Formats: sequence, structure tokens, C-alpha cells
Amino acid sequence: MREKTLKKVITFNSTTDAIAFEKYCHDKEIPGRLIPVPREISASCGICWAVPVEDAPTVEKSIEDDGIVCAGVYELML
Amino acid sequence: MSNIIVDAMGAQCPIPVVKATKALNELKEAAVVEVHVDNEVAVQNLTRLAQGKSLEVKSEKVEEAHFVVSINATGEAVAVEENIACIPDQRGNTVVVISSDRMGEGNDELGKVLMKGFIYAVSQLEKLPKTILFYNGGATIPVEGSVSLEDLKSMEAQGVEILTCGTCLDYYNLKEKLAVGNVTNMYTIVETMNNASSIIKP
Repeated sequence: MREKTLKKVITFNSTTDAIAFEKYCHDKEIPGRLIPVPREISASCGICWAVPVEDAPTVEKSIEDDGIVCAGVYELML
Repeated sequence: MSNIIVDAMGAQCPIPVVKATKALNELKEAAVVEVHVDNEVAVQNLTRLAQGKSLEVKSEKVEEAHFVVSINATGEAVAVEENIACIPDQRGNTVVVISSDRMGEGNDELGKVLMKGFIYAVSQLEKLPKTILFYNGGATIPVEGSVSLEDLKSMEAQGVEILTCGTCLDYYNLKEKLAVGNVTNMYTIVETMNNASSIIKP
């Protein structure tokens, strides 16, 4: 099995918001990727943005600068 | 047309089938016989009883451990079988994957008609699937107003797990409209497929 590393996970209020954030990150070359929301965060569903913790500050700065609305920010081993 | 209610809650096979047969035979005219049971195997056996007598039947899971099987009876006496077979759980380990609201490629109108027929035919299988997974365009099927709702509810009452991708429901704005089964996530979808003995994808 693949070795797990600490990741920062950002969730959104809707699937559409998550897809829009992926496009935004690609355009601005912000690190990370879209993954299905891990069970540790929510049993239900959804997609979220996951990024290695060392790259997290770049993402968090962009979110703050551009006033992007997120549902939650988590740190976990993935 | 009147409704006759048969309470077979807490009863194991053959009791629900015996009670239902008795109620059918006591009818003087056409009626709907509603049998209330608390387990999926009883729903399967009652469905088989009605189908064996060529009576229209549908079933629904009202809540946890409460199912209603509605048999559209003609009022004519039904033959009582001497040995009521208590067939154990009739679910296989097959998983049906529905990823579109249409079956096959080509004409869209035809595709929707085919999908409706496909789901009906699955509900008529001798050995029902373990799970039915709905995602992407398929997530528009297990919702309010869907033509397949009755077939899906009847399968759910017989113990078939109906799971719909939550991300997809969210994308199509159908989260509040889900009318049968539960919401699931990508991890469960992958595990369900991985554990299936076979997968049917129309």
C-alpha cells in the first residue's frame, strides 16, 4: 500500500464550487488535486481539494486573497 | 376498492405467506391486500406468492424493519399450496451499475425507454442483485417523479441496497429529491464494485 503523508484538505459547499476551485487552481498554477471527500471528514459524499501540508500555505493565501468561500479545512494522513 | 391489512410483523416464513393466502381467500371482491412485515425475506416470499398467482404486487420499505407488500387481488379464491416453500434470501452478490439515465448509445428517447425496461427486468430477476449503484446521469433515476421509482422501491423492500453518488446528486441539484435508498461516496462505490462477484452495466 502507498505510504500516507500529511495533507491539507479543503472542502466546499457544493460540487460545483469544488469543480470551479480546480479550474481556478489550474489557471493560477496552485498545487493540489481534487479527490473524493475522505470518510474521516464526512461519511456522505462530495469532492474536495487535497494538497501536501508543505504546499498548503500557497493555497491558503490564494483563498484568503481572492475571498474564496470554503466549507472547512482539515489536516489528515492520506 | 377496499384495503385489507394483514399484520405479519415479527412473523417468520411461512407465517406471512399463510396469513396473506388466508386473507386472499376470504375476499368477496377485488381488493388490495396490504401485508405488513418486518424482514426482507418475507417481502421476497410474498412477492413470489403474488407473482405465482399472477397478481399484481408492489412493495415498499416504510422504515427500518417495516415493509408493506401490496397485492392487487381479484377476489377469486387462490389455491393454497400444501408446502409453502420458505426460500432463503434470494440475493446474489451481483452489483448493477447505472451510470446514465439512458441504456446504450444511439437514440436518447429510445435509451430512456430501454433503461426503464432494464430496471424493471432487474426487479423481476429470480436472484436479485446485492446492490444497485447510481452515478452521474444515473443519479437522476432514483428520485421523485422517476418512472422507475416503483421498481426500485420494490427491490429495496426485498433487501437490495440502492446507493446513489452524493456528489452527483449535489451536482444535479437533486439532493432533496432522492426518493429511494441512500447516498454514498466514491470510496463505498469503489469497494462495492471491488467486492462484487459480477457487475452488470447496461
